[in-house]
Parts: sequence; structure tokens; C-alpha cells
Amino acid sequence: MIKITNLEKFYRTEEVETIALNKLSMEVKTGEFVAIMGPSGCGKSTLLNILGMLDDPDEGSYVFNGIEVAHFTERKRADLRKHNIGFVFQSFNLIDELTVFENVELPLIYTGVPAAERVKRVEEVLDKMQIMHRRNHYPQQLSGGQQQRVAIARAVVNKPKLILADEPTGNLDSSNGNDVMELLTDLNEQGTTIIMVTHSEHDARYSHRIIRLLDGQTVMENIMI
Amino acid sequence: MIKNYIKTAYRSLLKNKGFTILNVLGLSLGLASCLLIIFYVVDELSYDRYNTKADRIYRVNEDLKLGENNVLYAVCMPPLAQALKNDFPYVENTVRIKRNGSKHVKKGGINILENNIAFADPSLFDVFTLPMINGSPATALVEPNSVVLTESTAKKYFNNTNVVGKTLTFEDNILYKVTGVIRDIPVQSHFNFDFFISMSTFPDSRSTEWLRSDYNTYVLLKDATDHKKLEAALPAFLNRHSGQEMQTQLKMSMAAFEKGGSFFRLNLTPLTDIHLKSNRSGELGPNSTIQYVYVFSAIALFILLIACVNFMNLSTARSANRAREVGVRKVLGSSKKYLIAQFLTESILVTLVATIIAFITAIALLPAFNQLSGKEIAINSQTLSWLIPVLLVIVLVVGAMAGSYPAFYLSAFQPIDVLKGKLSAGFKGSGLRSFLVVMQFSISIFLIVGTLVIYNQLNYIQTKNLGYNRNQVLIVQNTFELNNQANVFKQEIKQLPGVENATLTGFLPTSQWKNTSIFFKDASFDQKKALFPQTWEVDEDYIKTLDMKMAAGRSFSNQMLTDSSGIILNEAAAKFLGLKDPLNKPLYRSNGGKQDISNSKEYHIIGVVKDFNFSSLRDVISPVVLVLAHNTGALSIRVNTKNLPALLSQIKDKWRSISPGVQMNFSFMDQDFDASYRAEQRVGTIFVVFTTLAIIIACLGLFGLAAYAAEQRTKEIGIRKILGASIGAIAGMLSFDFIKLVFIAILISLPLGWFLMNKWLQQFAYRVNIQWWVLVLAGFIAIFIAFITISFQSVKAAIANPADSLRSE
Repeated sequence: MIKITNLEKFYRTEEVETIALNKLSMEVKTGEFVAIMGPSGCGKSTLLNILGMLDDPDEGSYVFNGIEVAHFTERKRADLRKHNIGFVFQSFNLIDELTVFENVELPLIYTGVPAAERVKRVEEVLDKMQIMHRRNHYPQQLSGGQQQRVAIARAVVNKPKLILADEPTGNLDSSNGNDVMELLTDLNEQGTTIIMVTHSEHDARYSHRIIRLLDGQTVMENIMI
Repeated sequence: MIKNYIKTAYRSLLKNKGFTILNVLGLSLGLASCLLIIFYVVDELSYDRYNTKADRIYRVNEDLKLGENNVLYAVCMPPLAQALKNDFPYVENTVRIKRNGSKHVKKGGINILENNIAFADPSLFDVFTLPMINGSPATALVEPNSVVLTESTAKKYFNNTNVVGKTLTFEDNILYKVTGVIRDIPVQSHFNFDFFISMSTFPDSRSTEWLRSDYNTYVLLKDATDHKKLEAALPAFLNRHSGQEMQTQLKMSMAAFEKGGSFFRLNLTPLTDIHLKSNRSGELGPNSTIQYVYVFSAIALFILLIACVNFMNLSTARSANRAREVGVRKVLGSSKKYLIAQFLTESILVTLVATIIAFITAIALLPAFNQLSGKEIAINSQTLSWLIPVLLVIVLVVGAMAGSYPAFYLSAFQPIDVLKGKLSAGFKGSGLRSFLVVMQFSISIFLIVGTLVIYNQLNYIQTKNLGYNRNQVLIVQNTFELNNQANVFKQEIKQLPGVENATLTGFLPTSQWKNTSIFFKDASFDQKKALFPQTWEVDEDYIKTLDMKMAAGRSFSNQMLTDSSGIILNEAAAKFLGLKDPLNKPLYRSNGGKQDISNSKEYHIIGVVKDFNFSSLRDVISPVVLVLAHNTGALSIRVNTKNLPALLSQIKDKWRSISPGVQMNFSFMDQDFDASYRAEQRVGTIFVVFTTLAIIIACLGLFGLAAYAAEQRTKEIGIRKILGASIGAIAGMLSFDFIKLVFIAILISLPLGWFLMNKWLQQFAYRVNIQWWVLVLAGFIAIFIAFITISFQSVKAAIANPADSLRSE
């Protein structure tokens, strides 16, 4: 599904140039669950942003589903993104002004799903995430675990082929964290490809494969059994 | 989609109540001010447009230049109207109107003084749209001694409008038959009469003289006639009709007359231009000037601009708080287009609410505004028919204008940047925001300078030495009604204790009485050297009563029998004649008609009075001559008493003993003087009110910005405090960022204000100079107000507990 080759990304300030990704190559197959690990500043968030088409690389190739997207325009990337990729963030990133239902509904609105269909699909996914009873609450009325469930519901409501999770359990206690990992595992078992950035060895164990980064390069790959 | 936008917008606005209130309040205030000014401007621009044929009606004017004297008249010769109709097939109709002064009209046993009476030709109702509710428009003004009343006048005298055939008694002995009742003339008309008397009643109207002008004359052109065609034909027309008379009276042809540098021309003013663009001698009522329309429109635009800038500034300042939302929406697939639409929806929503509040506020303030502006603006269904579309346009335009910058600014955020929190420290970065603040304050400071200069000038007018003393002068306005008893009245008043002196004449520096005549300084009757002064008939007490000063010679005296041919010049007249020692020199006053020694009166100059202001301070003092005559127009009494009411009642007693049937009208000279500057006073007051509003709105914006700046820098403030910064140092640091901008605004606006206000002052012949302290004061006021506004937020941020501010990060 994903094949990147010799990917490079630099960050420049007035005086310093930082290399975030240094000729990185990797491949992720459809249906895989990959964890990316590494110390702070190793480039894992940059990688995730590029994979999520939120950012574009300076050099190298990124082929997504057989399409070269490395130098797509913002509009094309956005279009590809909203139909194919779901995001889960450490800080949930729910919109405070919208209810649980409306937050989850948002991606469907942007992809032009008709209203009746939206209600059906949002209810379906809220039910699956077991937060149906909270549908009319606002994010700040929910616990952290519940908020992350909503965020995952939002990420999957459009039935994306790929979910990118950036430390999904980072702001949660261990019990809520485990629930979230179970959810992701379920999704993966139903066929969704998942790439997850994490600091937690515990969480990484839910994946099939761990890619370890240091200074923008792959230093090791562990295959989990 | 749009439902989602509105929902998000509504909740977001509700969540940030302080911000929303500030925004809505500022915008409402701005829009309400704008609406009031729009009402004013529309009212000014709507004059005479109630006439369905307005675009085909023109007033005929006369421009006269005689020697050095140039006069523009709004009136024309008596036979002109008929001649135009006879000579030009494309003139559909003409009508003359002639003001008929003040008359007493009897109601029951009481005589009521009426000021709005005019003679008019029968064609009045064909040319102007004055719908008749009773009577026949075609014939109402045909017969002599017919009168047409307005609806409210009919009600005033007869309690109903069905009064055709009834009679009204004027001046106790003249009977007029009511032949029609018209609807009240709209306020937005350049003439406003209550009584129209048939022109045939007035014998002078049949005069065939072509060398005098006293009839306001209007032409109605046929459809699709270019008025320039008529204007071009007027010189030949005038020559054709007045040439003969000119030859016999001035002993010269029109060509010769013009060769001598003089001229005598006719031109046209479109009906709808009269109110704003005409200021001629003989207007039917006081007109306004287009300048005020421009000035007020500019102020309205300024205020709206300031309010919009507030909106933009507050929204972008708040962008850090909205950035995360933008980021999330982008990650979820929202395109830039959607986000722009969303933020525009939000700002249009705010504008809509603000507009509704502004509309209600403007309606509520309308009576007060009417009082302030001296207008009678009313909101009716007709107003609403144009106002509602205008309001909708305002909502869309202002909403889009105010929302566009935040919309484009916010929607351009890179989602990864905002999700990483990179933008949270972005407050100081906006150069545009600083620019907008500078612009707001430049406008405000400019308005402050304008206000101060206008007030200085008005104050100067109030306190300027006018060449006479207008204080403590009581004027009995209608002594002309005492006829030959007027002088008896004067002599009796002079005997009263508390009366210093009294003078009997209608010609006063504060009155509207005007009379010009032609003087020649030698018997050659040379046109070029003719003096064309105001010629005022006064008595021997005039100079003393009004406290005027003599520059040379003496005042009139009843001891000197020859004073009946004596004449007193003002300095301007003496200067015009170029006389080094004017005393005892002769002056020849033309009696009209042939200009030679047999047809003139010889005067000798007995004195020169120091110049005194008698028209507006806008104008240079023009030549005036005083002649001794028995003019009974009014009695000016110089009083010197602490008990004015007692004296006044004594004066009234004297009046009653002489003329029991007529009421005495009186006024005070200083109040009459103030009345002649009411337009300037009003403009001054309106300027102050709207300047204050502009500043308040600008400050609302600054208040909001300061709040956000402090909020953005909470962490920095906490760290600085932990490191030992004092509250004063922090408040100073926060305030300085803004005060700096106000300083820049001062540098921009003071020179501009100085320049533009100097231009405004040019229109006054007598004016103040803009003092340096006016500019310093304006700058100081701006800094002071800005500082107060900002320091509230700065101090609040500075005294906050640093532990709290750091924890929240």
C-alpha cells in the first residue's frame, strides 16, 4: 500500500538546517499494523505527517496505492487524504464547539455524504465504539478515554484504508490506553492498515512490526509474532 | 453544509462571549452611526425630488456684474416667465413665485402673524407636484384675491380641509377667497409656504420692466429637452427683450455694457441642485451645502472602517484559539474554500446581529439626532423600501469585508503547524494588524483635530469683536406695525429707567433686511466706478445704540438739518471709493432709470464708521452706507438693568397702550446672532458626537486586542515575574507595544489634519489659525485614551499569579 524510497526532509531556520528524514525507505503492505518508535526528534512525527499527506517531502518518492504523491498539490493531497486516511492524535483534537455526533459526522460532510446516510453511519460507528449514549455531549464533558474513542470513531467513519495514529494512548491512563489499543487491533483485524507512532513498548506489542528510527533513518525492524 | 457553518459559528461565538460582545457592540455602534448619517445624507439628497417632473424643472437665475460689484440672484425679471413660454416651443410651462413677507391673518378675533406666504402663478400646480385635496388645480390661482392653503393651515384656521369658498382676512382688511387646499409641502422642499396667493392679486406682477429682478422663476421643459439648448439661447433672448430698456435707461447697448467689463446674464439651476448647490441672493429659503453631505459621508465611512478593522483585528488576534479547529478540519478533509466559507458565514452572522441592533438603536436615537441636526427625518414604509435592501447589502459587504482577512488568514494555516501548537505564540507577528491599528488611530486623531479646529473657529465667531456690541440689546421686531406711532413708542421707551438708548430701523447687522443701491462718486456717472453698497436707513441714535465706533467724522444728529442728505460710509466703502479724506465729499445716489444728475440724489459724507460684520464671517465685510431716514422696521433697545423681566413688562405696557390689537414680537440681538451660525454649530456638534463614537469604537477594538495580547503572553509574563519583574515593568512592556502604534498614527494624522482643516478654514474670511497646542492636545488625547484602554488589560495581566499562568501552559 505504501512504498517510500530515499525520502528526505529538512527543516531550516535562519542559521541551522536540521535533517528530519535522511534517505529513508520503507514499505507497508495492505492490512499491516506497523509501530514506529524512536527517541524524541528522531523524525517519526515528520514521517507520519508525510505519510498522512499533511506535509510533503523535500526529496525522494512516496507511492500511495500505486500513485506517486510526493509532489502533489495541497488540493490533490487533501482530496486523496479525506477518502483514504483517518487520523488519531495524542491530544484527540476534537472540535470543542461540536457535539460528539457532529465531530464524527464532519469527515462525511467534507466527502459529500448525504445527510440521511451520515446519520446512519455515525450512529453505526458510535455504537461500535460504545459511546452512543454520549452522542449529544461536548468533548469537554467526556473523560480522556471517551474523547479518544470519539476521535477513533471520527477516524474510521469514512471507512479509510489507512489509519495513522500519533501516540494514541499518550494522554490516557493504562486502562483506557489498553481499551484504545484493543479498538485499533479490532480495526486492523477487519482489514484496516494501521501505522502508529508510539513511545510505549507495551503499545508497540500490539503491532505486527516495529520500525525503529534514529536521526531520520531506520535503524532496526522487529517483526512481531 | 451551510447549516454546519452556522451551527459552528453560533457556538463559537457563544463560547467566546467577551469577544462576541466586543465585536457586536463595536460593529453595532459603528453601523448605527452610519445609519443615522445615511438618513441625514439621503434626506439632504432627496430635496425637491417629490416633484414627478423634477428632472425637467429648472430655476432661472441672473448673474449681474456692475463695475466691481458681482451679484448672483436667484430671482429674475417680472416678464421673464411669460417671455420664455412665448419664445421657446420646448418650454412646456413656467411659474413665478414671489415671497410676500409677514402678514397678519385673522382667526376668530385674533390676528396671527404668518411668515410663509407667497404669490404664485396659476401654473404652480402644473410645474410642481403639490397634490390638491380640495379645489381645482387648474383654476385655483387664476382669479385675484384667491388663496390656496396647505392642509395643516386649513386645519389651523377652519379645523377642517373642506374649506373652498370660505374667506380669510389678511391685515384686518383684505379678504381672500380660499380656492384650494393642497397636501402639506414635504419638508424636503427648497420652498415651504403655507399660503399661495394668486399672482394676479399683485399688480407689480404685470410689470414689463426688464432691468430689475424679484421673481423666483421656474421653467418646465418638454420631455427630452436638453436644458443646455435653452441656456445657450438665453443671451440672445435677454438682449432681444431688455436691449431697448437698457438703451433708454443706461444709454448703452448690451454689447457696450459688456465691453465695459460688466455683464448681465441668465442661467439655469436644475431644481434638484437648488438645496445643495445654490446660495444666491433671493433664495426662497435657507439652503444647505453639498460640502456637509461630503463631510458626513466621509465620517460615516471612517466609522464603518474603524468598526470593520476592529472586527478583523479581534478575529485574527483570536486566530491562535481557532487554529486548532482549522487544523483538525483540514486534516479531516476540509478544503480551504470550505474554511473561508465557514469564517465568512461567521462574520456575516455577527454583522447581521450587529445590523439588527444598529437599526433598532438608530431608530431609537432618531428623535435625538433630529434635534441635533435640525432635521425632521421620519422612518416610514417608503424609507423601509430602500432601507431594507441597503441593510442587507451592508450586512453582506461589511460581513465579507470584516471577515475576509480572518477567513483567508486562518484558512491558510498549515494543519501540522497548528496541531503542533506552533502558532500559539504568533500574536506579535502580524504586521497587518499593527497597520490596521495605526489606521484606526490615524482616523481618530484626524477627527479629534477636526473637532478641535471647528470648535476653535466657532468660539472665535462667538467672541470676535464684530464692530458693534450685540449684548444687552433687546429688539422689538414688529414696530413697523405701529406705523407713524413707532417714533412715539421709541421716545417713550427711551424715557424708561434701565434703557440706555434706542434706535428705530429694520437694518441691523443681525437682521435679514438688505437694500442695495447704486452710488457714483462724481457727476460723470462712470459705470466702472459705481459703488454698489448695502444702503441702510437709520436714525441718529443708531451708531450709539449699537456701540459702533467712528473712524472719522461724526454720527447723524437731529440738530443738523442738512443731515437728511448726509451719509456715513463704513471703512470698506471708503476704501472702495479710494477717498483719502472722504469727509464732506459728495456721493450721487441713482434713483434708477436714467443715470444722470437729474435722476439722482446728492449726498455729502459726514463720517466713516469702523467696519462691522453684518453678514456671515465667511464673507469679507462689504461696503455699507448709512443714510438718515425714518425706517420703522424694528426698535433696538440697549438696556442696562439687572431686572430685565421688569423692564420687558414695562416695554410691553407701552406697546399695548399704543397698539392694543397687535402682539409685540421681540428677540435679543446676541441670540439672533447665534441663530445665524446655527448650521455651523450643528455641524460642530454632529462632528463631536461622531468623533467621540469613532474613538469609542477604536478603543473597543484596542481593548480587545490588549486582552488577547496579554492572554498570548501569559507564559512570558509568568516567567518574567518569577525572575523578578515588577508589575509596573510588565504593564509598561505590554502597553508600549500599542502606544508605539498610536505614536505612528499621530505622526501620520497630525500633518494631514492640519492641512485639511486649514482648507476648511479658508472658507471663512475671518478665521483662527490652527495653534500648535491643538495638534499637541489631539495627540495627547489619543495617547491618553489609548493608554487608559490598554493599561486596564496590562495591569490585569501583570498582577496575575505567575504560578497560575505557568500551570495553564
